[in-house]
Amino acid sequence: MRVNHLFLAGLLALGVSTLSAQQAPATAKPAAPAAAAQTAKPSLEVSAPRDMDSVRFAIIGDSGTGDRREYEVGAQMTKAMEIFPFEFVIMLGDNIYGSERPQDFVKKFEKPYEGILTQKIPFYAALGNHDDPTQRFYKPFNMNGERFYTFKKGDARFFALDSNYMDQAQLKWLEEQLSRANDRWKVAFFHHPLYSSGARHGSEVDLRTRLEPLFVKYGVDIVFAGHEHFYERVVPQKGIYYFTQGGSAKLREGNIRTNSALTDKGFDVDNVFMVAELGKDSMQFQVVSRTGKRVDSGSLPLRPEPKQADDKSRSQ
Amino acid sequence: MVRTAVALLFSALCISLPAGRLVAAAAPIPQQAVNAHAQAMVDFKKRMDAYLELRRAITQKIPEVKETGDPTKIHEREVALGKALATARPNAKAGDIFGALSTYLLKSIEDDWNSRSPADQKAMLSELPKGLILKVNQPYPPNLALATAPPRLLAQLPMLPEELEYRLLSRRLLLRDRDANLIIDVLVGTEPSRTE
Repeated sequence: MRVNHLFLAGLLALGVSTLSAQQAPATAKPAAPAAAAQTAKPSLEVSAPRDMDSVRFAIIGDSGTGDRREYEVGAQMTKAMEIFPFEFVIMLGDNIYGSERPQDFVKKFEKPYEGILTQKIPFYAALGNHDDPTQRFYKPFNMNGERFYTFKKGDARFFALDSNYMDQAQLKWLEEQLSRANDRWKVAFFHHPLYSSGARHGSEVDLRTRLEPLFVKYGVDIVFAGHEHFYERVVPQKGIYYFTQGGSAKLREGNIRTNSALTDKGFDVDNVFMVAELGKDSMQFQVVSRTGKRVDSGSLPLRPEPKQADDKSRSQ
Repeated sequence: MVRTAVALLFSALCISLPAGRLVAAAAPIPQQAVNAHAQAMVDFKKRMDAYLELRRAITQKIPEVKETGDPTKIHEREVALGKALATARPNAKAGDIFGALSTYLLKSIEDDWNSRSPADQKAMLSELPKGLILKVNQPYPPNLALATAPPRLLAQLPMLPEELEYRLLSRRLLLRDRDANLIIDVLVGTEPSRTE
């Protein structure tokens, strides 16, 4: 297990006194999550960044419903920003569900995240299977008119991919970009998870056969994906940290397969958002529910280059 | 007398020449053998190029949208481009662009499908949008998810320019104009998906 890489105590030492990752409910129980949400404490369990020089960002996925849950997560993110001043937000696809009329962009994106947008915090979107590729022209998504693109923040380089259409052109582009990136952190984000314990979708094995060899070869450190409407931190695979975070508005309650060997931590009883910071030698992360509870957190060390393929690589 | 001599001479020549050479000499010069698949690829590319040429002419009047914070501009451009392209190809029908390449495409799809595990097949089917009516020159239903193109299959299919994309619905292949949201061809001969 790579759990030994998690220094959960580190965050507790920062003054977090409420809920540790280990105490949070792991997966769905028969109890109704909505009822649980209504009775939950309204406090927001977010701790301050460890290092203000770090690269700080928030992560949302499968967010564009325009329903109450999206607005509630958005409101919590706005509050969290005061404690954990993230500099930007990455979106893991399904940014706008259903119709994509102009008013839908307001209802399903601009209004729910108004508090963040008004602070001039940029969003960087990846396309999901519910997204019209013309979203790449929507300026607030910062895609520069491209289905796949890269950007740099501090010591980190981010690669936003279009996992709906992983053609040769995109793979070629990705390899070129990865090969020339010499940043401390390499972070990829896209919609479909290469590893997942979801009962509905599961791991995208076909996509994995295309992407994983490049990620391993060029030392990608962290991969974020959505698509599955829950949160899962996967046991590191071939030296890479995988997070599935597709529950920022949609929720597929109880969908994480129990006893999955892939799961290091799962949460499928409420919607969540995530904040993370990339420091010199480690990444700190916190996952916060719609009701403000922290449901997972930890510290993941930066791996030395080149990557070692000695982790468990349990394909499911 | 002379005719008899000529006939005898001809017979003698026939006997002395190898059969192959005789046939070669007698038959018209054959055309060079054509690789049917290569020809189908060439024709497919020609038809695609013709479509792109038409598209380029239309985009002179409906220019590419720039990045904008106003989604109305993006939406209006997509609709206008789709309508203009459909109007410019009023008689377009399934198979017009795929043409003879359909046989190869069908086999690629079938091979890909058969190579997948039952669980993988099930997962692919579960991804499919339901209630689709697929017609050439119609927009892809804007409220429905775009079926994800399986990467392994994509690697087998001819590469497309950035303006176009394949979408696979079960074993039904679409050719879609990405920014016009227009179905410009449907592979003929594929079985309709179970969820349709």
